This record gives sequence, C-alpha cells and structure tokens, in this order.
Amino acid sequence: MIRRVAPLVLAAGFAVATFAPAAAHRLNVFAFIDGGDVVVEAKFSTGKRPVSGDVRVLDGNEALLVTMELGNNGTVRFPLSSVHHVGGLVIEISTGEGHDDYWILTPEDIARQAEN
Amino acid sequence: MKVWIAGGTFALAVLAGVPAIAHYGMIIPTDPMVEPEEGRSVGLTLSFSHPFEGNGMVLETPVAVGVTKDGETNDVLGDLEPATVMGEPGFTLDVPLDRPGTYVFHMEPHPYWEPAEDAFIIHYTKTYVSAYGDDEGWDAELGLKTEIVPLAKPFALWAGNVFQGIVKLDGEPVPYAEVEVEFYNNEAGIEAPSELMITQTVKADGNGVFTYAAPAAGWWGFAALNTADYTLPQDGEEKDVELGAVLWVHFEPWP
Repeated sequence: MIRRVAPLVLAAGFAVATFAPAAAHRLNVFAFIDGGDVVVEAKFSTGKRPVSGDVRVLDGNEALLVTMELGNNGTVRFPLSSVHHVGGLVIEISTGEGHDDYWILTPEDIARQAEN
Repeated sequence: MKVWIAGGTFALAVLAGVPAIAHYGMIIPTDPMVEPEEGRSVGLTLSFSHPFEGNGMVLETPVAVGVTKDGETNDVLGDLEPATVMGEPGFTLDVPLDRPGTYVFHMEPHPYWEPAEDAFIIHYTKTYVSAYGDDEGWDAELGLKTEIVPLAKPFALWAGNVFQGIVKLDGEPVPYAEVEVEFYNNEAGIEAPSELMITQTVKADGNGVFTYAAPAAGWWGFAALNTADYTLPQDGEEKDVELGAVLWVHFEPWP
C-alpha cells in the first residue's frame, strides 16, 4: 500500500515517518479513544487480524513514548493518561516483512473522542 | 429541444421526439478514497442532472438518503443542506467517517415526472467511498429496489480499467439489462463528436453482468434502466415508472 505522507492538514501539522510500501497483504492500523483508553486495531487487507506485532507510540514531535506488543487478536489498548498526548499521538505497528502502518490521533481526534 | 455539448460551446438542434440525453441521479463525493491525512469526513453533492452537458434539474428533498457501513444503514436525510448544483436545486452534506472501511451512500428521490418520456423516473443512486485505506465492504449490496452491485472495486480504479457490475431489480439479476454510461464533464470541457457519444450504452449478459472500460479519469455514472411493475397517476392517467439503478464510480489518472 502506498500512503501519502503529506503534511498533516487536520490541525497538528506534525511530521510522520515514511514507511516502505507494503505488499499485497497490506496492513491497516486504526486507533480511537474508548473509555479513557487508546484502542489500537490492526488488520490486513484480507480482513485477517495479525496475531503479533510491535507497537510504537510517539508524541506529536515523533518522540518515542512507549512500545508494546500487539495482542494476538490484532488489538492493544492503553490508558490515554499514561502518555503525553497534548500534541497528538502517532501509533506505528510493524508485523514484519514490510507490513507497517500507522495511525495519527490528532489533538482534535483526542478531544472529540474523549468527550464521547 | 437543444442539446448543449461541452459546456455550451456549441449547440445542436435536434428533432422533437428524439430521446432526451440521459438523466442521472448523482451523488458525487469530495473524495472517493479518504486518507487519514485528509480529514475525518467526506462531503457529498446530490443532484439530478445531465452530467455530460452540465445541465441541472430540480432535485426535491429525496425520500431517503442513507449511509451504510458494515451492514448498518443510517438515515442522513436530515443532514442535507440546500445547494445549487448545475444551476438547479440540489443538496450537499458532510458525513463523518468514524472508522476505516467502505461507506456506501444512497439516495432514493421522489418520482420525477418527465413529460417528454411520458413516464416517471426514479433513480436509486449510489456511490462507494473508502475510508483510511481500508476497502472492506466494497462489494456491499444494499437491498434497494434496484441497484448495481459492484463486481470490480468501485474506487481505486485507473483510467482504462474495466468496471463490472451486476444489475439487480428486486434483488434478482436482470438479464441483458441496458446500462447507460455517462461522464461527469464538470470542468473537463470534453467535447463529444456526436450526440451518440454523450451517453454510451452497454448491455449486461444473461446474468445481469455488464462491463465498461472508462477511457479517462473522472467520475463515470452507470445507469441501469428498467420499467417498474407498477404505474403512477399523472393527470388522471396511469403512467409507467422508469427505475434507474445508478452508480457513480471514480477512475484515477494514470500518472
């Protein structure tokens, strides 16, 4: 999958790392706020969930905040309050062999979803 | 009747009684593939128009406008904002895209009385938008009265690719259904060398499957037309109803 890594127009304007294009079974990463937790989901384009992977959580300035393992159901969650998130969060997942993707939780995403 | 081609650069006077250039229900998204960096919603423009010539018609507030995601349909009729589209009343709306995947938008308009065809027209109109790089659900069937169910992914197509769909009426394939195809000329300024080139026509096979290769990038509308098994009254007479299964598909330019 080829991702446009353009300047973030949503609000934060922070730069993100460039990933190599993935092959046919591309990985998709999504994250949202639920009950004060950041919920991270990973899925291959086939619809299958990866059973393992490395999760990296960065702040809006690309400083690494924390790493963790992806759960065997392709998800992981952690408390929003456990990370510095004022400038937004970048959540990267690598499942190996070029299967990388990321999701950006902008400050607006966090504010809006935390309200809900 | 005058038929304006290519934004009015020239006009052809045609004989009265010649079939009119195709009407199309239209749902045109601001983006057929919304990437994470591009926002968290998609804008839609709804109209009833002649897309190649850019001639609008009045679109009254539809009977239904919905968005379907993962098999769940939500009514967004109340979110419509009046707008002028191709010089005539239409609507816009902005729909949040909360999660990755394919969002299917549909519109059912009120019956449109077309005196020239001595019939009513109802175009059940759809378009598919992928959110955040996830195409799951691209082949969703909504169960509309009539619809084109994609057999090729209805986005992420290059110009020149073929598009295939199956025409359904009451949930069943329509053998040898006639499908009209028209380009949304918008700002492209394409001039048709013949009126016959404005609306092209293909027929489905015996299983209701049709195929079309778009020659250029842009929005292409597919309208499969069938006559309803009911009539509607007009001036004291019962009139036929043309049911259109309309699908708008975007083809991307080859770099």
